[in-house]
Amino acid sequence: MPTDQAPLRRLLDFCSVLRLEGVNVGLDNTMAFVSAAALFESGRLEDIYWSGRTTLAHRRAQIPIYDACFTRFFLGGNTDDETTRLPARFAGPESDAVVNVPSGEPREDGGDEQQTSLGLSASAAAVDQSKDFAECTEEEHAAIRRIVASLKVAPPVRRTRRHRKSPKGGALDMRQMARDTMRNHGEPLDLARRVRKERARRLVLILDVSGSMADYSRSLLQFAYSVRQGARNVEVFCFGTRLTRITAALRHRDSDEALRRAGEDVGDWAGGTQIGDSLDQFVRQYGRRGTARGAIVVICSDGLDRGDPAVLDLALERLSRLSHRIVWMNPMKGETDDEYVAASLGMSVALPHVDLVWSGHNLESLVEFADVLPEIK
Amino acid sequence: MSNAAPADVDTLQQLLQDQGYLADRGLATATYISMKLGRPLLLEGEVGVGKTELAKTLAALTSRRLIRLQCYEGIDTSQALYEWDYARQMLHIRALSAHQLTDDESVDSLFGEGFLVERPLLEAVRAGDDCVLLIDEIDRADDEFEAFLLELLSDFQVTIPEVGTIKAESRPIVILTSNRTRELHDALKRRCLYHWIDYPSAEREQEIVQTRLPEVSEVLAANAVAAVHRLRGLDLSKPPGVAETIDWVSAIQAIGAHDLDDQTAIVTLGSVVKDRDDLKSVERRIGEIVGAD
Repeated sequence: MPTDQAPLRRLLDFCSVLRLEGVNVGLDNTMAFVSAAALFESGRLEDIYWSGRTTLAHRRAQIPIYDACFTRFFLGGNTDDETTRLPARFAGPESDAVVNVPSGEPREDGGDEQQTSLGLSASAAAVDQSKDFAECTEEEHAAIRRIVASLKVAPPVRRTRRHRKSPKGGALDMRQMARDTMRNHGEPLDLARRVRKERARRLVLILDVSGSMADYSRSLLQFAYSVRQGARNVEVFCFGTRLTRITAALRHRDSDEALRRAGEDVGDWAGGTQIGDSLDQFVRQYGRRGTARGAIVVICSDGLDRGDPAVLDLALERLSRLSHRIVWMNPMKGETDDEYVAASLGMSVALPHVDLVWSGHNLESLVEFADVLPEIK
Repeated sequence: MSNAAPADVDTLQQLLQDQGYLADRGLATATYISMKLGRPLLLEGEVGVGKTELAKTLAALTSRRLIRLQCYEGIDTSQALYEWDYARQMLHIRALSAHQLTDDESVDSLFGEGFLVERPLLEAVRAGDDCVLLIDEIDRADDEFEAFLLELLSDFQVTIPEVGTIKAESRPIVILTSNRTRELHDALKRRCLYHWIDYPSAEREQEIVQTRLPEVSEVLAANAVAAVHRLRGLDLSKPPGVAETIDWVSAIQAIGAHDLDDQTAIVTLGSVVKDRDDLKSVERRIGEIVGAD
C-alpha cells in the first residue's frame, strides 16, 4: 500500500494515461501539474481535478477526454463515491456521454493502404487533364492526386497594419529617418517612406462529401490538402449532413496520412446533403468568431440540397456579409464558359450571394483555379 | 489588501466575491494555482462570461495596477512593448551637433531610458508584482505575435536590442483571454495554465446579477436570467453572455419597470440580443421567452 512516493507515482501515471488518449502532455505540463497538486495538502479529489485540468488540458476539445480519463483513473469509472466531492459537470450525466469521445488510436483501414500502393505504381501514367473526375479510373485518380499535390495555390492579398520600406510614396517613416539622421551627424538628408505590407487573405474551403459528390470529393480533398500545405492561412471543412473541421487532420506532412485522418474525422461520407444547415453551422460556430471575416470562402458542392432553401439563403446571406468573397465550385457546371444557369434549386438560391462560380470537375479546371485565385479582388 | 497570493482557494473565492465577482470552484482554483506557481493563466470561453472582468477584479483585490494590452490584427512590438521617441531623439541629435558633441557617450545617451517610450508589456515587466497584466483577446493578434510573447510568458523578461534584456524582479499576475476565433499555438499554451469558462448556471447567474446590481428586485433578476437561459437555448447566432444579462436588467430598470413582461422585453431587447436576424426570431417568440406566469 501507499508509500511516500505513491501519490507522485499516481499523478505521473495519470499523465501517461492522458498521453495514451492523445492529449499532448509534455514534461513541463507534468511538472506544473505536480506542483499545482502539491499546493493542496488535503488532497481533495476536486483540487486534483482542477489542478490537472488547468495544467494538462490545452484546449476545450480536450476537456471531455480529460474528464473521461479522470473518472476512469481516479474513480475507476465509479462516480458514486461518497467520500469525494466533484464538480457538478464532472459527476453529472454529461460525463457518461463524453466517454465515447474518439480515442487517438489509429483505426485499421484497408482502403487507404490500397490507394497508397496504387499511387506509387501509377505515378508515370499519363493523364488526360480535361477528363471529368467522375469518369477517371483508379489509376488516373492516383496520378491526378500527384499532380494536384504539386499545385501551388496562393490566396489573394490584403493590406495589413504593418509597414515596409518603400522609396516611392507612402507615409514618412520616422523610425528610419531617425536612424539615418544619426548616421549623418544629425543632418536629415533623405526622407524615408513606408507603405503598408500585404498579407494573404484567409482561405476557407468547405467541401461537400455527400453521396452525389462522391466522384469528386476525393480529388477535391486532395486539392484542399495541397492548398493547406501551400498557403499559411487556410481552414478546411467537410459536410454531408453536418459540418466537420478537418484543418488539423490535413496538417500532417504525409498526404496519405493526412487524408486518412481527415477521412476518419468526417463521420458522414457519401451520405445525404444538408447544405443550408451545414453552412449555417459554419457561420454560427466559426464564421462569426472570425474564421470567415475578410476571407475567401470556397464552397465545393453540386447544390443538391435536401434541406430548407430558406435556411441556405439565410446562411449564405450572413456568410456573404462576413467574408470577402464567396466562390462556388460546382462540378456539375461542366465545360461551358457561358454565364452559369442554376440547374438545382440549391444553386438558384445560392447564386445571388456568390461572387464566382467555378467548375472544378477536372484537373484542367483545378489548375486554372489555382491561377485565378490570386487575382480575386 | 496585500498583494501576496491568498492562503487557499476558499479565501480567494471569498475575496473575489467581496469584489463582486462570483467565480466557481474551478475558476477560483485555476486562478489560485496561477498566482501560487507564478504562471500565466489563459482563459477561453464564450463572449461575455467575465474573462476580462477577472483580471480587473484581481487587480482590485490585490491592490495592483492593471496593465492592459488589447490585441488586434497587425499589433507589433512598437505598440505592445516599446518605441523610441524619435522626435526627441532627432531634436537631441541637433542639439548635440550644435555643440560639436560627437563622442560615443553622447551618442549612446540617445538610446537611454529617457528616449524609451514604454508600452504595456515593458511596463508590466518593470512593475513586476505591482501589477496584473491583462493580454486581452490574444486570438485577434496575428499568430506571429504569439511567438513574440513566448519570452515574456516563460521568463518574464523582454529583450530590447539597443538596451539589453530586462527581467521582471518579481512576477506579475498574467491573464490572457481568447474568444477562440482561431486556435492558439501549442507553444503559447504550454507556457500557460488553461481554463475554459462556461456559462454559469441560472442560480449562479442570478447571484451575479444581484451582486452587480444590488438595487434590483429578486423577481426581476430571476425572471430575466430565466429568459436569458431560454435565449441561449434558441441557437442564436450571437447568444447573450453574462454581460448582456446585466445590461438587460439595468435597461429594464432604467425604463422604470419592476418585472419582465412581453412589452418590457420587446422594448429593451436590443441590450441582450444584438443581431438583426436573431432579433426577428426572438420577437416572434417573445411570449415563450419571457415565460408565462
